[in-house]
Amino acid sequence: MIAPTVDDLQAITEQVWLSYLDPEGTDPLLPLPVEAPAAGVAASVSVTGAWDGHVVFTCSREASLRAASALLGVPADEVTADDVADAVGELVNVIGGNVKSLLPDGCLLSLPHVVTGEAAASGRWPAAVEVCRLQGVWGAEPVAVGVWASKTTET
Amino acid sequence: MHAMIIDDSRAMRLILRRIVTQLGFEVHEAGNGREALDVLQAMDQVPQVALIDWNMPEMNGLEFVTEVRARERYRPMTLMMVTTESEHGQIVRALAAGAHEYVIKPFTPDAIIEKLALMGLVPSGSTS
Repeated sequence: MIAPTVDDLQAITEQVWLSYLDPEGTDPLLPLPVEAPAAGVAASVSVTGAWDGHVVFTCSREASLRAASALLGVPADEVTADDVADAVGELVNVIGGNVKSLLPDGCLLSLPHVVTGEAAASGRWPAAVEVCRLQGVWGAEPVAVGVWASKTTET
Repeated sequence: MHAMIIDDSRAMRLILRRIVTQLGFEVHEAGNGREALDVLQAMDQVPQVALIDWNMPEMNGLEFVTEVRARERYRPMTLMMVTTESEHGQIVRALAAGAHEYVIKPFTPDAIIEKLALMGLVPSGSTS
């Protein structure tokens, strides 16, 4: 079974950034081997069906505020927790939907789930293994997208 | 001209609102299909177009399309799916249920405008 790769994640996130966060192409997500934020925001969607797993978007709190500010058109210092959940949830929804398009037909995508703070840094899928991860910086802030496959899913 | 935007993400509704407002549409919003049916029922006129997400709580976009197509009053309304669902079978299901057009996220403003132009809802050559 074909599994998504880092190159796939890079192509998808480039499109997402150009469409919603960086339409001028001047502030892209730069792939760099940076550490994941200790306590930030994690948003995930689950894929079920012919392939089972999760697509997880993590970023620092500052990056989440920038994303919400850009998507919702409000100043970063006025962004609320609901704004962050909505904006980051939609980002992982779009990224996850495009990852799903690389998987076998017949998979379903869940609604997004967003957590913040220490919970965002903890591994929440003991029954899954990470199959690829794109790490980078947006501005100076860490951002990562990972794909986790259920241990029962053959990759 | 009126447009209905149906998406559970406020961010996505705002992105779409910016695009269609500049084309002269008066925009109505709903966070899922059920809410959209309520908004439509309260309106005097039928929107010319609805932009519809697929994955939403309570009533998803496909269920909304099916409901709307079963109601004569809404027959003139053009239905455009705007969704991350890109599987061929899903696109076929949506079109078979009565959707007229299909846009896959992520999209650029011009992609939405081109589809609206194809359906005769905005002049050809309109761009963001």
